[in-house]
This record gives sequence, C-alpha cells and structure tokens, in this order.
Amino acid sequence: MNAPASLPLVCGGLDFHSAPVELRERAAFLPHELPAALHQMRDELALPETVLLSTCNRVEYFAVAPEAERLHQRWPGFLQNYHQTNQDFAAHSFQLKGPDCVQHLFSLASGLKSMVVGETEIFSQIKQAYEIAQSSQTTGKWTNRLFQSSFAAAKEVRTHTGITRGRISVGSVAVELAEKIFGSLAQRHIMVIGAGETSERTARSLRSRGADSIIVANRTFDRAQTLARELDGRAVHWDDWIAEAKHVDIMLSSTRAPHYVLSRDRLEDLMQVRNYRPLFLIDLAVPRDFEPSINLIDDVYLYDIDDLQSIANRHLHNREAEISRSLELLKPHVLKYVSWAERQRELNRLADLAGRTWDASPSPGTNPPA
Amino acid sequence: MDDRTWLVLATFLYLISAAWGAYTLGARRVSATRWNLALILGAFSCHSVFLYLRGEEIRHCPVTNLFEVLAFLSWSLVLTYLVIGPVYRLSILGTFTSPLAFLLNFFALTAPVDIPNQLPVMGPLVELHIALSVMSIGILGLAALTGLAYLIQERQLKRRDLTSWFYSLPPMGELEAAHRRVLTFAFGLFSIGLLIGFFIPHDSVSDWVKITWSGMVWALYGAILLAPRWLPLSHKKIAWCSVGGYVFVLLTFWGVNSFSSMHQFTAQPPASEQRT
Repeated sequence: MNAPASLPLVCGGLDFHSAPVELRERAAFLPHELPAALHQMRDELALPETVLLSTCNRVEYFAVAPEAERLHQRWPGFLQNYHQTNQDFAAHSFQLKGPDCVQHLFSLASGLKSMVVGETEIFSQIKQAYEIAQSSQTTGKWTNRLFQSSFAAAKEVRTHTGITRGRISVGSVAVELAEKIFGSLAQRHIMVIGAGETSERTARSLRSRGADSIIVANRTFDRAQTLARELDGRAVHWDDWIAEAKHVDIMLSSTRAPHYVLSRDRLEDLMQVRNYRPLFLIDLAVPRDFEPSINLIDDVYLYDIDDLQSIANRHLHNREAEISRSLELLKPHVLKYVSWAERQRELNRLADLAGRTWDASPSPGTNPPA
Repeated sequence: MDDRTWLVLATFLYLISAAWGAYTLGARRVSATRWNLALILGAFSCHSVFLYLRGEEIRHCPVTNLFEVLAFLSWSLVLTYLVIGPVYRLSILGTFTSPLAFLLNFFALTAPVDIPNQLPVMGPLVELHIALSVMSIGILGLAALTGLAYLIQERQLKRRDLTSWFYSLPPMGELEAAHRRVLTFAFGLFSIGLLIGFFIPHDSVSDWVKITWSGMVWALYGAILLAPRWLPLSHKKIAWCSVGGYVFVLLTFWGVNSFSSMHQFTAQPPASEQRT
C-alpha cells in the first residue's frame, strides 16, 4: 500500500517472526508497568500519542511520530533504558508507517498475524493495551480513532469469515465434538481411564465446559486417587470401571495396555444396559485402548488421537485459507481510516493557513475568528 | 391478483430460500440464516394470503381438493417451523423446511388437482377433523426434517468426515430432543383429528380404506414414540423410522384418498372447470 506522507502513524517493535523468545521476554512489560513505560516512552522519544502492546508473542508500539526514522533508531535504546539491559533489540525490531501501520493493527486485532491464526485472545490484549494507554493519557485523536476502528474491523472479520472457526488442539477438538454430540455438557459424566497427560488436559477442558462429574480409573489406585483429586472427581478401582461406565457419557482412555481395554462385544452389552444413550469415546492411547469396530455400534462415537489431530490440522488449514478473504474485508476499513486521516490533515492545514492569514492581517485589535 | 398467484409467489420465495439455505450451509455463513428466515416469513405471508382468499372464495376451510390440502399441509409445516425454530434455536431447520414446502406447493400447482369440489356445508366438526389431520401431517413433515438433520450429523460424526454442514447444524442432543417433541405434538394432534373423525355422522358404510391407512399411520408413529420406552432402540433408528414414515405418508396420501369413498378429491365437474 502506498503511504501518503501526511499520515503520521508509526508502529513497530519485536514479534515472534523477528525476535526469539529470549529477546522478547527481556523486552516485555507487565500490565502494571505499562503506565510508567508509556510516560517514559512519550517523554524520551517525544511522541504526542503512543500505545504499547506487550504479549508473549510481541512487544510493539503504535505511535504518532513526526520523525519515524528517529523513533526507529531510538526505540531499542528506550527498551534498554527501561529494562536496564544491553540486549541488541535494534537488530530484531521492525517498523511500519502510515497505511501499512493501520493494516498491521487491523490484521493483528483480527488474529491474522497470531502464531495460532485466528486466536481471539489478541483482541482482548489489544483492547487492554489501548485502555491502559487511554487511562495513562498517552492516546489522542489519531490513536483513539485507530484502535476503535481496529476493533470494528476485527469484529467484521470474525463474523464474516471462518478465521476463528474450528478448534486446533487435540483437547479442544474433543470438547467441540462432545458439544456437537450432546449439546450442552452440563449434567454430563466423564470417565478417565488411565492417567495420561493428554487425557487429563482434555478432562479439564470438558470440566471447564460444564461437565458434571469425573470418574478416574487406573490400574494403580493411588495414581487414580491423585488424579481424581486434581480433577475434583472420584477414583474407582480398576475392576469396577466397566460397571461405572453405565452412567458416563464421555470416556477418555490413555492406558499403556498392550491390548484393547474395551472390546466391541463388551460395549454392545453395555449399550443395551445404557438403553442406547449416546457415548463418546476418546482413545488417546497408542497402542489403542478401544477396539476400532466399536464405532459401528449405534450411538457410539469413537475418535482416536489421529482422528482428533487430523481434524485439528484441517481446522488450522481452513483458518489459513481464510486469511486472504479476511484481508479483503479489512481493505475498506483501512481506506476509511486513511481517508479520515487525510481529511484531518487537510483541516489542520487549512486551520494553520487561516491562523497565518489572520496573523498577517493589518487590522490590529480584531478578535480571531471562532 | 388471484389466489393462485399468491401461492406461486410463495412457492418462488420458498425456492429462493432453499437455494440460499443450501449456499449458506455450504459456505458456513451462520449470519445469513437471518436472511433465510426473512425469506421464509415473506413466503409464509403470501402462502397465508392464498389460503385466506381461497377460503373466502369457496366459503370452506381450504381443504376441499388435493391442491388445497397440499397447500394447507405445506403451510402447516412452515408455521410449525416458524414457531419451533426460534424456540428450540433450530433456525437452521429452515434450510430443510423450504425445499419441502417448495416441492409440495410445486406439485400442487403443476399437477391437475385444483378441481373445484362443490361440497355442502361441512360443519365445524368436519372442518376441525380435516384441519387438525392435515396440520398434523404437516408437523410430522417437520419432525421428519429434524430426523433427517439428525441422521446427517450422525453420519458425519461416524465417518469423521466433518463438512461445513456439521458446523452449521445444531448438536445432535438438541436435534434429538426437538425431534421427540415435534413428533409427540404431531402425534397428539393427529390422534385428536382422528378421534373427531369417529364422531362425524355419515350415511351408510364406513370409509375402510382411509380408516385403515390412518390407523396404520397412527400405529407407526405411536410405535416410533413408544418403542424406546420398552426396547433398547437407538435414536438413529427412530430418526430413520420418522423419515421413512413420512415418505410413506407423502407417497400414499394421494392414492389412498383416490380409493377412499368419503375422502377422495373427486373430479365431479368436467375437466374444463379446472382452475388454471
């Protein structure tokens, strides 16, 4: 995009593309540090308006700077001064000017530039950064309009594209599938067989979505009790798990058993007792714990680790495919801001001109125009 | 505009709604369901105007020939969707309702079935019997569509082939609950309609063809509703029965009425009197 010289906006800093995590963590600001950092940056770098965004993936500034080049040169020094370090921030810092800066913020707020494309946390992080800058009185006409426009643009992208659709981790895909099978997870009962880390994480996700109770079964009862305590659930002895399975809706398994823990015959009997209430089986074990042909039983939905991973990969691919569509949606928003900015510059120029004309007026004592 | 023009307009709007719905399902444009709802509301309004004008013209509940019955049936289907869709957050079912409403109306408009039937004054009991029976068949249509949506979701989950439909359609748990409720409501209405039929005085022999057919339909849906209480029956089978049952009803409805002695939509007047 061709940047008109009139737009005084500049952004830059360090992100996960340009800087390694060791450097980013030295440059990061905690939320409570931001007001002081904003004031220091404004004073040290002579910036009329500035906002600082600090997340685990980026430390960036958005500012109104009469001299962008000078800001680019002095930004690393500001970081060194503030954090009392001699890290080489300059080699890893980037800078964008004018409409490119607008485009960058709008893309950022829409999740297009996130490490996990389409994640929505960045939106609230930008919002928080803006609010802190606003309450620290380091924002002004240009940045206020810029950030408010970015929120509207990001909202449109999220609503009209599939950039945030589909979960992209094994655990969250399992939760999504469970919600598609049962609707709400409230009143649903979960059983964790084996004490693997992934099943523990998945059980936690299910619990956070409202699942009612968790039963943990493990060959070692002590381990089952420990995990049950962590998950706020109930431990059962290994020999009892099939009897308990009568009442559960979701079964997660990640044992190290060399054979199937649940065979088709056994589950067919169980489904009769359950009166064919739907059962979601998540097999996270390798070798697998559930006999694959179990999936042929009505109202039983079996997904193994490869199925879940493949869905997560497909979602990520779909999100990446939505980037170009999202950028198209952002274009009018960027143009709108740039047009507004140009109008403001023109108005300022006319006001200056009017001021100079009045100054040059030969009639002393006349009141200035309103 | 004459009454048929209103129905043509409604049918055209259902067609647009069906095409738009298919597009939005494929494109996963959830926000577009609002437009689809607006289209269905527009179509339903035209549909209602048709029924009103036809009723005014014939001075009967507009169910005096197969054309009117089909139009009334599809109207009941859409009405039920409009009531149930927002209540159960099943607006997406409009995507399934529009094509069926279109097909029923299209058949009614193109088949030579709009034959004026000079019926004597039916009386409130007969009109109530007909209206409730036809309406319940329309509602059974919505139940079948809900069952169809359930089967689509089930198939995708079983095959691990999650298309855009999977994300647009409601969760299976919600579809199952809605399916049971709509079935129960339609069955209740159908039972009342049938019961009223037995209290209608008639001249001589009973209409055994229609009574047998109605009894079969009643028993089929009764079994669909009650069987899960006694048998270990998966909801997939119930959904199949609901869809299959409705296909049976649609395919046999015309034929059964033709063989029926009291329910047939007879072409009493010459064919030249058929409305076009």
